[in-house]
This record gives sequence, structure tokens and C-alpha cells, in this order.
Amino acid sequence: MHRERLENALFRTGYLAILTFMLLPLAVVVVTSFAESGNLAFPPENYSLVHYRAFFEEMRWLSAFDNSLLVGVGTTITATTLGVTAAFGHEIDDGRAGQVLAPLVLIPLLIPPIILGISMRVYFVRAGFEASYLSIILAHTLWATPLVYFVMRSVFSRFDWQLLDAAKDLGAGPIRSFVYAVLPNVKHGIFVGALLAFIISLQEFVMALFLSSRSTETIPVVAWTEIRQSLDPMVSVVSTFLIIISLIAIVIATIATNLDWLSKQLS
Amino acid sequence: MSGTYSPSALPAPIARLWESLRERSRSKRALLLMAPLLVFELLLFVAPFLILLRISLTEGSQDLRYAPGTWSISGYGEVFSTDVLVNAITYSIMLGLLATAITVVIATFYAYAIWRSEGVVKSALLFSVVLPLLTTLVIKTYAFMPLLSPNGTLNDVLLSLNLISEPIQFVPGTVGVVVGQVYIVLPYAVLAIYSVLATMDWGIVEAARDLGASRPRSVLEVVVPQAMPGIIVATVISFAWSVGAYAAPGLLGDGQNKAQAFALVVEKRLLSNLQWEVATAYAVVMLLLMLVSIVLLTAALNYFGGEFEYA
Repeated sequence: MHRERLENALFRTGYLAILTFMLLPLAVVVVTSFAESGNLAFPPENYSLVHYRAFFEEMRWLSAFDNSLLVGVGTTITATTLGVTAAFGHEIDDGRAGQVLAPLVLIPLLIPPIILGISMRVYFVRAGFEASYLSIILAHTLWATPLVYFVMRSVFSRFDWQLLDAAKDLGAGPIRSFVYAVLPNVKHGIFVGALLAFIISLQEFVMALFLSSRSTETIPVVAWTEIRQSLDPMVSVVSTFLIIISLIAIVIATIATNLDWLSKQLS
Repeated sequence: MSGTYSPSALPAPIARLWESLRERSRSKRALLLMAPLLVFELLLFVAPFLILLRISLTEGSQDLRYAPGTWSISGYGEVFSTDVLVNAITYSIMLGLLATAITVVIATFYAYAIWRSEGVVKSALLFSVVLPLLTTLVIKTYAFMPLLSPNGTLNDVLLSLNLISEPIQFVPGTVGVVVGQVYIVLPYAVLAIYSVLATMDWGIVEAARDLGASRPRSVLEVVVPQAMPGIIVATVISFAWSVGAYAAPGLLGDGQNKAQAFALVVEKRLLSNLQWEVATAYAVVMLLLMLVSIVLLTAALNYFGGEFEYA
């Protein structure tokens, strides 16, 4: 029994240490955003809101926020549309097209974003619309769609398809039967998929770095260029906003579904 | 749309592809629903890669980024003629292996802890994985600067405990890069293993313990082999992303890290030298290297995993 207690204690210490490792860096970012001095140090000597005030006066950050929002909404719309329709099609017929589609959609996630960024930059320069919002939205869609697609496949596979047949038997057309029989049962899934797509786009930066210009740069891109020049608590302020947005998204997604299911979708 | 659709409006190879897909699908409507995503992937993923490959095979140009329409392997010639490539490959594979080994060990343990826990603890552990996963790479690397720099928190703690006599430079340096990279890939690795463990029956582990296996032994010999599919996915993801690491060496590395990380080498060629044929050749070589090592890694793990089950 003594040995068992020791093992338990070691086990608990182990996972609490990892828990700390996972959350400490994010805590550091949030705490340093309230620092008074301009030097980045943890823990800060004095606390104040001076950097938050400065943030709302800095045009570059504010316009980056607008850019991120625009790109995020654009990505959410395209990724959700593509992902939901394709997952629906795959569900009603698991033919050859589906067998091609599933790996094709997944591969971009395994390729380092730097290579995707380079290939798309070269591609968009040739196509003549580099450094536009559209190029970033399309690049982010490439990353966000797989998540929507696999979330929706998991949702559709739990859906009772006899309901759709029943609607059709009762005389509803394909669109009506989808809207009235399928949609109410999968709307939580679609919502979570869309939310994840938005967060992916909001947080992605390597592809955005290669595809954006000064006027279309998103928050992570500005943060990256700022950090490379000097360490400034302002970056902590912006990061705190980003962390809070993700936090809210997780809470909403957890209410809509549950954390365990959400976690499995992300893998 | 159903009967009147004419494939003759499309270029011949695409029309052929469409026809063969259509013949093999049971339902035309399903194919139409999948078509937008298929077209998107072809246009935004396959096509850019073919163009990347094509540009890597052009001649260099004095006043353009590359000379369109020419065929040459001079880009690859330059890639293989300097020792930049050898250094980049060595560095990136070492970083990949090191970060992957650390990540997979920690991730397996943590996934097991999540699987075994219940209620609030389980939610807290899952939350600690999902939140960093949904946080930008920039923040994840940036956060380690105040923690690991010479006048950072960790050094302050170590100094005040008299464990060291002068600050150690973790950041910028290789230690910082490895820690940062592990932090970046860990959430994905944990969830990959956890989603496999979640389908597993705890009764098997209990049976092993009833038969006299100690707890560490029951985990190593029962849980790990069962979780092998998840561990393989975790290994491949960790390795692929660590070999292609950009943010961690770029921000937490010293000059040597920055000069050798593959992603930074490629970026430098693309942005500052304006030699696209060389930059794209580097990207192609990097991609091939990754694909080959992933195949080898998966094969090795499958072999190892197979052996493990019968041991």
C-alpha cells in the first residue's frame, strides 16, 4: 500500500506539472500586459493599465484588428460552406470522390505552413492578387475547412438518416427536407465548426505573414513583426485579447456541445 | 443541373476526371455537394504546388524573380552545392527528433491522466490542452521570452535558490527553441492520443493488474500498445511541424539556430535574395525530406508497435 500511495503522489505531481507548463506561458502573457514599466518582466514590479490605454490609441493595432475580423469572417463563411456541403455529400454517398476528398483535405494540415505560404505567395503573385484580403482568406480556408469537414462528418454520422427519408416520403423537396429535417439536428455542430474556423483564422500567422501587406496585416502578423524589433508589453495586451477571444469561444462551444467531444474533434 | 450538364465546357483532362468520378459515384447529387471543396483543393492546394515545382525548375534571372518558360536544374544545383542544405537538414531533423521524443512521452502520460480522471479535474486538464491549441503561435513562443531569458523568471528563481551562480542563457538558444517547439505541438499530440484512449476499455488494464502486473508495467504493456494508432499520429504531427518549425527558432533561437532552421533558410532565400528558383527548390527538397522521414517514422513505429504487442 505504501508503494501505491507513492505512485499516486508521483502521478499527480506529474500531471499537475504538465498542467502548469501548459497554462503558465499564457498566464505570463496576461499578467505582463498589466505591467507599468515598458520592460517585459515577469512578474512585473508595478501594475497599471497604461499599455491598454496606449493600445486604443495605436492606429496600426486597431486596423490590424479590423483586418483580422474581416479575414476571420470571410474564412468562416467559405470554410463552413465548403466543409458542411462536402461532409453532407460524403455522408449520403461514400463513393470514389469521398475517398479522394478525405486525404486531400487533410494533407494541408500536415505540411508546414511556411511551405504553404510560399507556394501560395508565388501562386497569387502569378494570379495577380497578392497582398489582398482574398488571398489570406483563401489560405486560411485551406486550414479551417478540414476542421469543419471532420466535425461535420462526425455530426452527420450520428444523425438518424431515416428522418431525411421520412421528410422526402412526406413530399418535401431536397432543400426543404434538409432545412427542416437535418438542419435542426446538426446546427450545434455547424456552429462549433464555424467557431473553430474563425479561431483558426484569427490565430494563424505564418501564411498570413507571407500573404499580407502593410494594409492587410492581421494581429498575429503585427505582433510578430513588433516582437522581432523590440520586446514591448503592448504585445502582451494584444495577446491577452486573443487569449480571451479563444477562451470565450471554448466556453460557448462547450455549452453548445461538450468539452470532451470538442477535444476529440481537434485532434 | 442534373441532365443538362455538359462536360464539354471544361478542359479535356478535367472533363475526363469528372466523368470517371461521376461513373464511380452512386449519386450525382452527392458528387455535386462535394464538388466545390474538391475544386477548391485543386485550385488552392494542388495547383500552387505544381507551380512551385515548375518554378524550381526554371533558370535564374537577373532582373526578374525567375525566368518563366525556361527549364533548368540550376536551382537544385545551388541548393546541393553549398553546405547550407546539409546544415539545415541536420539541424531540422535533430530538432524534429528531439522535440518529437519529448512531446510524445509527455503527451502519452498526459493523455493517460486525462483519460483516467473525472469531473472537474478532467475538464481542467482538457481545458489546459484546448486553450493553448487555439492560441496563436506568436503568443506561444513570445511567452517564453520573459520566462527563459538571462534576466528572466527561471534564472531569477535558480539564482535566488543558489542553484546556479550566474544566469544561463536558455533564450536565445537551442534550449529555448526545443521548449517552445514542444509547447507548440504538445496540445495536438495529447489530443491525438487521448481520442484513441477514450475508445479503450479500462477492464483490460484492470485484468492485467489482477494478473499481477504493477501499475507502470500495466500501462507500458497494455495501454501503450493499444494507444499506438494515436501515438503514431502524434509522432507524425510533432515531427512534421518541428522539422518545418518557423516561429520557435525564429524567435527563441540564437544566430546559429536562425541560420540553420530549414523554414528560415527558405524564407531568407524567398524574401531577401529574390531568387525564386532557389527558394522553391529548397521548399521542394524540404517537403520531400519530410515526406520520406514521415514514411520511415511511421514504418518504424508500426514495426515497433507490432513487436510490442506480442512481447
